[in-house]
Amino acid sequence: MSLQDAAIAANRFGLGARPGELAKIAGDPRGWLRAQLTPEAALPAPLAALPSTADDEAAFARWLATLHLGGADGAALKAYNVSHGAASMSETASTASMASNAMAPDDGKLSVEQSYVRTLLPRYATALEARIDVATTTDRPFFERLVHFWSNHFTVSAAKPAVIALPPSFERDVVRAHAMGRFEDMLTASTQHPGMLIYLDNYLSVGPNSFIAGHSEYLPEYLRGRMTGLNENLAREILELHTLGVRSGYTQADVTSFAKIITGWSVQGARRPSPDGRLFHFQPSFHEPGTHELLGVSYPQDGVEQGEAALRALAKHPATADHIATKLVRHFVADDPPPAAVARVAKMFRDSDGDLAKVSAVLIDLPEAWSPASAKLKPPEDYVVSAMRAMGGPRLTGRQLTAVFDRMGQKPYWAPGPDGWADAAANWIGPDPVWKRIEWADAAGKAMATSGVDPVVLAKETLGPSVSPATLEAIKRAESPAQGLALMLASPEFQRR
Amino acid sequence: MIDRRQMLGGLSLASALTAAPRFGFAAEPTDKRLVVVLLRGAMDGLSAAPAYGDPDFERARNGLAVAKPGQANGALALDGFFGLHPSLTGLHDRYARRELIVFHAIASPYRDRSHFDGQNLLENGSDAPYGLPDGWLNRALIGLPQARRQGRTDLGVALAPSMPLMMRGPARVTSWSPSLLPAPETDLVARVRALYQETDPKLAMALTEAVDANAATGAGGKDGAGGQEFVVLMKAAAKFMAEPNGPCVAMIDSTGWDTHANQAGTYSPLTRNLMTLDHGIQALADGLGDRWSSTAVVVVTEFGRMVAMNGTSGTDHGTASAAFLVGGAVAGGRVLADWPGLKPANLYAARDLKPTADLRSLTKAALRDHLGMDEGLLETAVFPGSGAARPFDGLFRS
Repeated sequence: MSLQDAAIAANRFGLGARPGELAKIAGDPRGWLRAQLTPEAALPAPLAALPSTADDEAAFARWLATLHLGGADGAALKAYNVSHGAASMSETASTASMASNAMAPDDGKLSVEQSYVRTLLPRYATALEARIDVATTTDRPFFERLVHFWSNHFTVSAAKPAVIALPPSFERDVVRAHAMGRFEDMLTASTQHPGMLIYLDNYLSVGPNSFIAGHSEYLPEYLRGRMTGLNENLAREILELHTLGVRSGYTQADVTSFAKIITGWSVQGARRPSPDGRLFHFQPSFHEPGTHELLGVSYPQDGVEQGEAALRALAKHPATADHIATKLVRHFVADDPPPAAVARVAKMFRDSDGDLAKVSAVLIDLPEAWSPASAKLKPPEDYVVSAMRAMGGPRLTGRQLTAVFDRMGQKPYWAPGPDGWADAAANWIGPDPVWKRIEWADAAGKAMATSGVDPVVLAKETLGPSVSPATLEAIKRAESPAQGLALMLASPEFQRR
Repeated sequence: MIDRRQMLGGLSLASALTAAPRFGFAAEPTDKRLVVVLLRGAMDGLSAAPAYGDPDFERARNGLAVAKPGQANGALALDGFFGLHPSLTGLHDRYARRELIVFHAIASPYRDRSHFDGQNLLENGSDAPYGLPDGWLNRALIGLPQARRQGRTDLGVALAPSMPLMMRGPARVTSWSPSLLPAPETDLVARVRALYQETDPKLAMALTEAVDANAATGAGGKDGAGGQEFVVLMKAAAKFMAEPNGPCVAMIDSTGWDTHANQAGTYSPLTRNLMTLDHGIQALADGLGDRWSSTAVVVVTEFGRMVAMNGTSGTDHGTASAAFLVGGAVAGGRVLADWPGLKPANLYAARDLKPTADLRSLTKAALRDHLGMDEGLLETAVFPGSGAARPFDGLFRS
């Protein structure tokens, strides 16, 4: 029976305690965590209610079509279509800026940007609301944290207009489905998901000696009028971010060669789903023929098997185990990952051939993870979620959540680049981020004070023994319950874990 | 290899390195202001500052070459060889007013092609990714004459919702970004501050900085929310720095420069980014008013992009790019480039614009000649091991 360990389990491994939760798990905090390392029996209801992947993929194209019907300026639209349909990975389409800086339409019609925001942002907002809904109500917060971790590892960001609707689908199809499976399967699923294929441009990549390169008359409509050739964006990020990690020894030649290996990895198009319902489509006519080398190994396979074999080898590469272990330990244990802890996790990754349930279980067994001193600062999303779990609210709409997270600097599903969100306190402890959290604490405290809750009791119930006498004293002396709640949320113990 | 190098602008790099006497730090330059803009994602320098006079330019860019001046959507001419992208009209005006220097074929010491490593190196100020744990601009704050002689610790501000590495480190730095929520009650802030001071010095320091920053912008943060982010941040920087005792150094991020596909054209991300950059610099100048005359803005990116278009009408990661130095304090109206040329044999790794200058020569010059930092500190504390990258001379008006 350890309330201290229960508080660590709930806060460091989870998303913060709800009232009563610490007492419930104090009997066996480690067992409580281990029990969460099973595949999901069913998709949580808020996620099951979201649109299908095919629908999400088609949303952007449908919006473009509506613009055509609405009689938007043809030339401008074509230009917008071309530039945004395949915009670069980290293009920041700040919705606020798009809304307010849209070119002023002089005929009373919506500008392209205004139309984009009005049509597609609600879809993002709905998915964000569902994500926060699941995070605040789940009984499996460690599992949920792992989902968020992998979703960030394989970032697909709504900051790129053409994939604004796809990160939630990607998370469901790739991450939730494989979070307790094998890394190799998650990697392959990621690389074959329309979200990733569009986000990192691979659907446009054409082998220089492929059939289509010599027969432009066969080009599909979306590529007509564009140059077609190799695009190494996805190949590079798989090596650098998804598997081996940067400075692990691969060369520019490996990047180019790997890009050739995955030419033809494209999307089916929502109108013609494949018989198995998958949206991945291998286009043989785009594929660079021949044997290609990657990291000194020859891949003589034909077609899609070539890339699948290369991904399998990357998943098994020792550098991948080290890279993933370092990130996991940094995420759950400390900003500067203790080498011994990393080595243990990496060893399990190798020994189990990337069995992610086993790898996650090692995290629970790390003595470093159970030190009572807080080693991590909650990033904005977890900060807000843990506040909502503690207080049972406030319940915010997707639109409100979008605004809150935008200002706090971490809009979920909207990371600035394919490397995802930074995972160290230094990123979130500057004056502006701290100020934004106190603003939120103030507003949330006021919103929830009406529920008749005692902030002192709540602080003890959700932070357990980790709450300091100074914090309890400050809450006790608050001039109102609202201020007491705000002080609890603003306290160091609530911001750190 | 002098035959393929072209001496351009009023001053070539070679002569910049040896000519003009450098300024000492005799004068107490408390009124000087330095703004560093980091373009994340790798700006395509050959689009931002097209070398239309290079006979190989159009061929080498195979479809992405900005048109020559005078043609539709043509470059804005600078010196007959280099131009600016057509969306950089404000910067073009400043060039005519001798407030802008364009640097070309310039790069950090980073030679691989990872954004994240490239940015890390550029921000930490060493010659390796993760070579130092904090940022050069933060370390510079400690060495500024105002810090050393007057003990000032309020010299830096980051306009960002999270603290960029370049501004992290031992020196105090404040930060600010626009807000949507109402400012918290003053009484609550006082209580939280007291609590932090008792139990969490790091949070306490951050909160103190935030309170000061909000006082400086005049609002609890609601100012400008919903505007074009970069322009809003530049306006805020101006507000901070226009104050007589305001911060001397500001750092601002701009994202979205990674143009792998469809980077040309009116609606392309690159065009819009350049336009926003131009507007942001204008907003900063407007906000600073008279102080613009003692201000310099350094615009840098982690690396450039391939010379040739890739298979998807964009460009993949490259090496050298362009950089800008603009402001009333700048002795501008010139392009500084030891131009390597664009023939296949002259490219770096047979694909990228070859770097012939080190970005640290620019940033070191800004710290030494604009802000009056001691050169010894530059070599030891700010950019250790950068001795070979001599600061450029003569970039600023005396």
